[in-house]
Amino acid sequence: MLSRSAERLYWLARYLERTENIARLVSVHMNLLMDLPKGVEMDWRQLIMITASEQAFHEKNNIANERNITRFLLADADYQGSLFSSLSAARENIRTSRELLPDEAWEQVNEMYLFAKNNLDTVANRRQRVLFLNEILKGCQRFTGLLSGYMSHNHPYRFIRLGVNLERADMTSRILDLASLLLSESRSEEMRQYETILWMNILKSLNALLMYRQHMRSRVQGGDVLNYLLLDTNLPRSVGCCIAEMAGCINELPNSNDLPEKLKELESYVQAINARQTTQKQLREILDGLQNKLGDLHGQIAENWFLKEVAG
Amino acid sequence: MKSIWKNYKTDIAYDELMCSEFQSRSVSHRLCQYLDSLKKEDIDKRKIAAELAIMEMGISFTVYSEEGNIDRAWPFDIIPRIIDAREWRIIEKGLKQRLTALNCFISDVYSEQAFIKAGKMPAEIINSSKNFRKECIGVKPRHNVWANICGTDLVRDKDGIMYVLEDNLRVPSGVSYMLENRVITKRVFPELLQDIDVLPIGDYPTHLHDMLSSIAPHQNGHVTCAVLTPGIYNSAYFEHAYLAQQMGAQLVEGKDLVVNDDDCVYMRTIEGLEKVDVIYRRIDDDFLDPEVFRKDSTLGVPGLVRAWKAGNVALANAPGAGVADDKVVYAYVPEMIRYYLNEEPILPNVPTYLCSNPDDLAYVLEHLAELVVKPANESGGYGMLVGPHATAKEVANFRQIIQKDPRNYIAQPTLSISTAPTLCKGKLEPRHIDLRPFILQGENTFVTAGGLTRVALKKGSLVVNSSQGGGSKDTWIINGEDR
Repeated sequence: MLSRSAERLYWLARYLERTENIARLVSVHMNLLMDLPKGVEMDWRQLIMITASEQAFHEKNNIANERNITRFLLADADYQGSLFSSLSAARENIRTSRELLPDEAWEQVNEMYLFAKNNLDTVANRRQRVLFLNEILKGCQRFTGLLSGYMSHNHPYRFIRLGVNLERADMTSRILDLASLLLSESRSEEMRQYETILWMNILKSLNALLMYRQHMRSRVQGGDVLNYLLLDTNLPRSVGCCIAEMAGCINELPNSNDLPEKLKELESYVQAINARQTTQKQLREILDGLQNKLGDLHGQIAENWFLKEVAG
Repeated sequence: MKSIWKNYKTDIAYDELMCSEFQSRSVSHRLCQYLDSLKKEDIDKRKIAAELAIMEMGISFTVYSEEGNIDRAWPFDIIPRIIDAREWRIIEKGLKQRLTALNCFISDVYSEQAFIKAGKMPAEIINSSKNFRKECIGVKPRHNVWANICGTDLVRDKDGIMYVLEDNLRVPSGVSYMLENRVITKRVFPELLQDIDVLPIGDYPTHLHDMLSSIAPHQNGHVTCAVLTPGIYNSAYFEHAYLAQQMGAQLVEGKDLVVNDDDCVYMRTIEGLEKVDVIYRRIDDDFLDPEVFRKDSTLGVPGLVRAWKAGNVALANAPGAGVADDKVVYAYVPEMIRYYLNEEPILPNVPTYLCSNPDDLAYVLEHLAELVVKPANESGGYGMLVGPHATAKEVANFRQIIQKDPRNYIAQPTLSISTAPTLCKGKLEPRHIDLRPFILQGENTFVTAGGLTRVALKKGSLVVNSSQGGGSKDTWIINGEDR
């Protein structure tokens, strides 16, 4: 497998995962805000905090309201991190690596892209936005199913899984970062009142509520949720599971050098966390550390397998 | 019921499907009857279905324009073009004969030059050819075949005879569109393809792969094939990716390849360097290898020609094969067939005046307004003059251009190229078409069943190139005898 192809597939997977994550994030947040009373310290601004895009947002928008924030996160073609930009980048990457994927993979992403492009205006309206996001989520799921059902679980597939899981672990850690605010000692009484709903919302944004219930068989509690989303190795969107998936791929790939070792270190770092016994401040530091380590891991993957710029 | 064929004009040129407004040709009878049985809305629906399929399949080509490169959906006409299998068998034979002779000629040019020594062609033509590469003298590609993949353009004149318009021996494109056109037709007219026996074309990638394997430097065990593309912004990138995918070959760019001190070609893979045996290159000679050809090329691979000359890698088509893809050399192909094969040409050439020849030049300058003048080495329909459609100023301008560089121009009578019914704003109208079959030559020779039919979508236009308002049609070879 060409190094250049490995790189394109890896990024294709990251961009599509990002597309799906943004869609779910906006969709769940919209639901949450409908449940909460006005005045709770939770609004649309949390979304641009999670995606670390406050600066980019404020450069182009004066008011951080629902309309501007959703348009920015979903439809802004100039903002690199938007759903539409991610989907466009995924499409460009798949267009240029079609020879490695089933025919339907390209058609699926291309169709989804055409749909998004033709419906960008509709996201301003809440009801239509729901439909738009559902269609995108379905499209992403179809793509995942298509690959798992049609594609050999070979090296190209492993690079896709690698990209998916790195992006996923990163997004989960960002959502947990936001969730850690709920542990703040200074949070308002009103916030405490709605705590269960907020934690449930965190679980939903990672499609994990039902699985959490089955796993914990008890009411939703902050520390348990955090531990579950960090340490569990069965839930697809928990950090622990993403790391295990990546380790599985890396162990099967040729010339992995010291990457298996790095993955083990990362795993130990995560498994040493116990959210029940950390303060909010400690937890945020741990999560920051995790995000940095994920960034380093990306750098090591690129260094190890991707095409280096040829001198001259 | 009003016939869809009412007022269809068959007096513009030879029409491939219809003899007259009321009478279809026997080979197209069932199709024409079927179309007549559809309501206008039905036909419109099928057209929309085809357009949707093209959008979703992402079949596109790139137009280079001043506003940047635009990816356009492939313009496709849903009405197929039909050729009788009996006629096709003769054409197929003629195409094989022609490519065989051309390959004999290219081998000869880069070795003995017996054709020239026998006085069949002035040496000057080769020496002044842009595509003659002296670096290739003495090289012996496997099976003595230099042009492994050829796209020959055929047109039918008003006399009903198919003529060879040109041989594309450098990097002919369009075969993926031929294949995709059939896929779309199957979606749009499934019931028709069920009823009519149309020769299948889907095996082309298999034949291409077999041909490429047959020219590999070693014939023991696994052969690694790669398609070399100029990159993702090239107008034919879709086709490069498509063919690589269909063959299960690697799609590589120049920067993916490296030639080592052992004069072998390697790909940069996640497992390190991996040796490549055969390269189907879709890059022009000029850009192939900066060590030998254009020094400023960033698309090619330094050392590639060195590896090829050392016999460590096969290149299809071989560098230098383009020497026979020259409209002046074209005029000599019938003579090549007689000389090398001792046969009479099965497919005729269009009569050609060589401006390098003083008598011809005089005739051409006198009759510019009725001739088609083409540069010897351009493709894509650029830089040519269609006399009858040109203004007096354009004709005068071209007269000067020719006089400055007569070697680089040829002229041909303006053919009345055939038409086929084409859906234009919901109505069937005649539009001019040509045909590009693809011929593969390695150990064996293979011709596609039909080819890519290109259609000039603008009324009255004779230019079928997609970059200039052309579209395409599915091409059906129908086995009439079985019925």
